[in-house]
Parts: sequence; structure tokens; C-alpha cells
Amino acid sequence: MSAIDVKSEISGRVFEIVARPGDRLAEDDPVMILEAMKMEIAVGAPCNGVVKQILVGNEDSIAEGQVVAILEAV
Amino acid sequence: METPETAGRSRVAQPRPGAVDAGAPLAAGPGADLAVADILARIEQARATGGDEARRQAVVRQHALGKLSARERIAAFGDPGSFREAGALVRPLPEHGETPDAPADGVITGDVRVDGRPVVVSATDFSVMGGSSGKAGGLKSARAIQYAIDHGLPYVSLMDGGGHRIQEGLDSRHFAGVSTPFKKMVDLSGWTPICAAMMGPGFAGPSNFAALADFVVMVRGTSTMGIAGPALVKAATGEDLDKEELGGASAQVDRYGIADLAVDSDVEALAAIRRYLSYFPSNARAPLPVHPCDDPVDRRDAALLEMVPPNSRRAYDVRKVMEAVADRGSIFELKPGYARNVVTALARLDGRPVGIIANQPKHFAGTLDSPACEKVAHFISVCDAFGLPLVFFVDIPGFHVGSPAERSGLALRSARIIYELGRATVPRLSVILRKGYGLGFIAMNGGRTFGADLTVAWPTAEICAMSIEGAVDVAFRKDIDAAENPGARRAELIGKFRSRVSPLAAAEGFGVDDIIDPRDTRPVLIEALARTAPRRSASSAPPKFHDISPI
Repeated sequence: MSAIDVKSEISGRVFEIVARPGDRLAEDDPVMILEAMKMEIAVGAPCNGVVKQILVGNEDSIAEGQVVAILEAV
Repeated sequence: METPETAGRSRVAQPRPGAVDAGAPLAAGPGADLAVADILARIEQARATGGDEARRQAVVRQHALGKLSARERIAAFGDPGSFREAGALVRPLPEHGETPDAPADGVITGDVRVDGRPVVVSATDFSVMGGSSGKAGGLKSARAIQYAIDHGLPYVSLMDGGGHRIQEGLDSRHFAGVSTPFKKMVDLSGWTPICAAMMGPGFAGPSNFAALADFVVMVRGTSTMGIAGPALVKAATGEDLDKEELGGASAQVDRYGIADLAVDSDVEALAAIRRYLSYFPSNARAPLPVHPCDDPVDRRDAALLEMVPPNSRRAYDVRKVMEAVADRGSIFELKPGYARNVVTALARLDGRPVGIIANQPKHFAGTLDSPACEKVAHFISVCDAFGLPLVFFVDIPGFHVGSPAERSGLALRSARIIYELGRATVPRLSVILRKGYGLGFIAMNGGRTFGADLTVAWPTAEICAMSIEGAVDVAFRKDIDAAENPGARRAELIGKFRSRVSPLAAAEGFGVDDIIDPRDTRPVLIEALARTAPRRSASSAPPKFHDISPI
């Protein structure tokens, strides 16, 4: 099993964290919602996996390309 | 008197070393009296030495690399049995008294049929000196391109290796007068569709050729593109990079957008080019290929009512809108993994090819950044060259903003869309799905700037210079700060402007031709295309030689 970085493709602010450690996600399932450009943008799972760690909190500012969570690929 | 028989014999009896199997001259000189049948047999023998049967080992090596041979590729690309080769008997010109073993001089050229239509094809043969281009091979490639120009036929280049044959290139007498077919490629560009398949190593020259193609497909795992390969990079800068990381399909297709599509095999690459060509006429003056359409023109998809969330903060997948509107199964997305904030796709409406450009709210909120602008600008240019009408699905909160946007030169790169729209002569139709904000709205063919042939809004449309909240915060900051209750004042201002931003207001000001029921989008677009002239006149342009692209 390998650890996979979940990166945000856009800079923004964390609006809502929808996945919790231990959650099993399919590819593209939302890990969290960012607010950017007055929109709610989902940061999706890059592949099927189990959430290992969430690295940011609500309201945090996120840079483009920042790793926001770690998945364990399954 | 010259009879056909002696004429044929005198042609093949010319002392042209290398023209056929150099080791077995056909005629020993005056007095040689071979029967035509013998000459033909020898020619067939020479021809066979270049075929896959005679070169089993080379073919097996190709297969072991997960690749087809150049001849297998051409056979798989064209309609069955349609390949007519030009120059099968070519051998390299001897240098310093030696003739390298290079059947067809490493490039196979000719024409095939694709869905019955003629297409000029050239395929570099990696098994012949790495697919490198020698003098004779260069002449063959140039002639293939010239043939496409002269006869108005699409040109397809199947590349595997190539570039300058280094044995010839390390000689100033040869290289100083280097003559590549670049100029011919530029002449061909915009006249007939140009496609390139990268099916093997393609760093340097081949990548520059592919860059002049309209559509480039790469095979994952076997192909590379880029200005220089890892060995050259390591020698020049010390940077140590793996070829896949430097120029493999996932880098060049999805990250850098150098190519349009990545596929998993040679066969898929060839099928992708066949599919691409099905949307295009043979040349810029030929009519569009119209396919029979069994999808009803008046089909109203009820799902369209629910596709755009009423809450403008919510994202959705615009590809679902495209699929509900276009002919079933007709959407062929280009650069699907690159600049995903905008979707560019070939499609059909009532069997007629169109180019669709749609903001994708799922990514980057559907804003246009530099990669997206380049993707859109190139797509408009290709569609316009060959007469494909443009259909825009607009939901754009604006251009991407911030320091990364400026570093990427977005102000220039965004202007390339404006430039392409300004010079385009094909019909262009716009459907405003939701947001149409600011300059981004104009770049998506919104408003009257580029004389849209049809511009309609969905009931969810909100068209204005920028988001109302953002505008109020910027333009009325002093007003809000000075108010007794700043929050209430801000809300009051937002409410005031919101009442002015609606699809009805856009229609009242004649910024849009009409507001439509989303379910009617397909019939409305099809009807509009049916009554629109295929090209608008460029006669109002001043007598210049050409306009100047911002990039």
C-alpha cells in the first residue's frame, strides 16, 4: 500500500472538510471543498483509497499544488 | 523508336546506384539483354528486401518494444488494402563509397484511404537507422507534403525516432545547407488537416514537426516529445532526467499540452487520427463531411433543466451539458487532461461537425488561465481553418487572477483568444449557461464584440462585468466603511445590483438574442446552424498581408 498526496489544483480557502481519516474513497470523490473564485471547488481523491490524514483545517488558506491530505491507495 | 518496353528498360537501366538493390545491377551496360520479366523479377526482389517479411528481426524488435512496424502502422491506419506507396525502392545515396543498409531510406510514404477519402501518409521506420532522415528520405517526406498541398489532401505523419541522420549531420558541407520540409509544412498548415502520431522517441526535430500539426497523439510508455532528450540535457545542463519524466505522454499531453491526446497503443493512436479526420473536410475549400444522424434534431433532454445548480457557488460537469445537446456519441474531446478548466471538443449537430468550447466549473471554477487560453486559441484556429462552426457554452467567473497568472503572461495569452475570434470567419454560437463575467465573457464569444451569429441565455444566466459581491467590495469600499452599519449597507448595495443582473435584463438590453428553455438547446443550435452562411466575408479588413498574433 502506498501513500498518495492529495493536492489542491487551485489556491483558495478551506470551506468544508468532507472526508475523515479512515474513510474509503473512490477516485474523484471529494476530500474537501475549497472556496475559490466565489465558488465551492471540490478537491477530489486522485485514486481509490482510504484517507490516512487530513493536513489542513477549516478556513485555512491553501496554495496551488499544496498537499491537503494523504490517501492510502487500495 | 522507343517502345513502352524499351522505354521501361532504359528507365531502370540507368546507372543510378542505390535506386534499386545496388549490389545487383540490373543491366551490365551496352549489350546486356535481359528480358523485361527478368528485370521485373529483380525489381520485385529489390522491393521485397525493404518489406517486413525480409526484415523479420527488425520487426520482432519493434514488437518487443510494444510497437508496430512502420508498414504495419500504415496498414492499420488506412482502409484495408488502400495503401499506395511512393518510393518503396528508394535506397540511401552512397556516401564516401558506402551505401548504408537503409530500405526506403527510413521513411515510408504514399497515400491511403480513410473512410474512403484519400490521405497522404508518411511513416518513419525506427528499425532503419533509428528512423533518422537521410537525403533521399528527406526528399520523400518533402514530396509527400507537396503532394498533400497540390491535391488538397490531409497529411498524416507517423513518427518513431527520426531527426537528422547524425552520420550526415556532423558534416558542415551537408548541414550548412540543411533543407528540412518546415517551409512546406507551414504552406500546408490551414490548407489541409495535419495530424501527427508520436509512436517512439521524438525529441528535437520530430517534435518541431509535430508542433506544426493540428492534432498530435502520443502513445503512453513508448513515445517522447520535447526539444531535447535526456542525454543531451544531461550534457548541456547537468540535469538528470528520465525520458518519461522529461517528455513522456503524461508530461507532454496532460501537463504541458504539447500534444492533444495520450493513448495506450499504436492501434489506438491510429484510430484516434481516423476519428479526428472524420470531422474535417479534405481541405479548407472542401465542404464539411456531414454524417447521417439518427439522433432526432428536436430531441429535448429534460435533464438539462437540472444540470446547472441554481446556487452559483456550486460546481458541475459541463461535459454532461455537451453530451445532452450534441449528437449521441459524437463528442471527441481534445486535450482532455490538460487545462481541464475548459473543454474543447469536436462534435456533431444533426450530423454536421462543430467545435465546442465550454468552461468547466469543476476545475479552477471554470476560469481561463494561460494553458486554457492556449488550448482554446489553438482550437478556434483549427476549427476556423476548416470551416467548423464554433459553439460556446459559457459559465465563466473571469480570467484566473493572481501572481501565477501574471507570471504565465496571462494578459498576452488571453489576448490570443480574442485575436483568433477576431479573425475567425466561421459561424459562432454562444449559450450562456450561468456566469458571464467581465473580459472572460468576451473571450468566450459573449456579447456583441465578435458578432456572434446566435447568442442565447439559459434562465440561470448572470451576465455582468464581475461578481456582484466583488464589485461592491472594490468599488463601494469607502461608502460601506462610512456607513453606520457597514454590513447592512453592503447587503443593500448587493441587493440593488443583483436586481439588475438577470437574463431578462440581458435580453432587454439586446445583449442576447433570446432566453431559451435549456431543454431546447439542441434544436435551437441546429436551427441556427442550418440558416447560417458557412463563412462570413472578410472584405471589411484593410489590405494588410496578415495580422499579428499577440504570442
